[in-house]
Amino acid sequence: MEKTEINRLLTCILEILEMMVESGAEIYRVEESAVRVCKAYGMERVDIYATTSNIIISVEDGGTIKSHTRRVKQINTDIERVHRLNELVRNMTTNTPSISEIAEEIKEIKAAPVYSAPLIFSFYGIIAGAFYLFFGGRDITELIISTVTGVLVGVISRLLGKINANRLLGRFVCSLFACLVAFAGLRLGLAKSVDHIIIGNIMTLIPGIGLTNALRDLFAGDSISGVLRIIEAALLALAIACGYIIAAYFLGGAA
Amino acid sequence: MSIFDAIIQITASFFGTLGFGFLFNIRGKKLVWAAFGGMLSWALFLALGFLFESEPLRYFIVAICSTAYAEALARLMKTPAATFCIITLIPLVPGGAMYYTTTYALSGNAQLFLPKAAYTLELAVALSLGIVIVTAATKYILGLKHKEK
Repeated sequence: MEKTEINRLLTCILEILEMMVESGAEIYRVEESAVRVCKAYGMERVDIYATTSNIIISVEDGGTIKSHTRRVKQINTDIERVHRLNELVRNMTTNTPSISEIAEEIKEIKAAPVYSAPLIFSFYGIIAGAFYLFFGGRDITELIISTVTGVLVGVISRLLGKINANRLLGRFVCSLFACLVAFAGLRLGLAKSVDHIIIGNIMTLIPGIGLTNALRDLFAGDSISGVLRIIEAALLALAIACGYIIAAYFLGGAA
Repeated sequence: MSIFDAIIQITASFFGTLGFGFLFNIRGKKLVWAAFGGMLSWALFLALGFLFESEPLRYFIVAICSTAYAEALARLMKTPAATFCIITLIPLVPGGAMYYTTTYALSGNAQLFLPKAAYTLELAVALSLGIVIVTAATKYILGLKHKEK
């Protein structure tokens, strides 16, 4: 393969890998995909190392050696995107489409529709409401408080995402807000207890996806990514707890 | 637990899981199957209550069944297994236990805090073990298949 062609192909591959990590794919899947694709395009040697924040790839073919690095800054779970990237990778390994075809497909994946913001916000509310009932809350006013708080938490986390706020800080702010509203409801006499309102809202914040991926990575033999993800999930949980503790400190005294 | 509570919980687990499906941008048929999986997980957890008293044990069994459901569905729909694996277990995330652990820690009640913290950890470990066993088994079985080709 020509030098310039290798460059272009490698850029495409890295683009795919970067999107995979960003959308919440397991790291072992990212690494496996890279190796399979490069082999399909006839590279003599491929070395890839990926974590949740960095991708390093080096390929060797016909005397040329090329290395590229990408820094991954944000993780935004998007299962549909992982699914489509996975399909693209499978297509590349079996049919080896031309580089411009790949670029076209990447563009298409990037432009794929996501659910509209109002819909996402209302589902934040539905989650908070559903888990309010799930964990044993049985009061209509509290249910409404929980649902409305959920919607607002959705709005806040979207805004924080827009300004690229630190993820830990984001969780902390969301949790603090939800707990403050719950305690305020209690103080105003609208709610009889804060427990279920807070649990319902915390469910939208708990880093379940990180933990599941951590386990999958750990067991695929990728201990570094697994451990990193576990630590990240623990820190996020701590941030959520801090939000609650501060809210309880300021408004929970009477309770 | 009354039948009324059970029905509410099962319905709520469907909608809760469905909500996460939207948050994670799951689309089309996959969304319905994911939400259905979440509901099944909780229904199974409740049903197992007739056989076993221990919640961690029930968590473990549900995690195994739910991950198997996720892996099977992922193969059928030709999509990464993580899609369903994460979402079908959402109702089992011990959010309540975590919340009460924090509450007890905050009120300085060590007598309640320590057992609750240990219990939360137990649930998380049971869940993880279940996921890991099925994931590893699937990998091993599929790995054998690849070699045969």
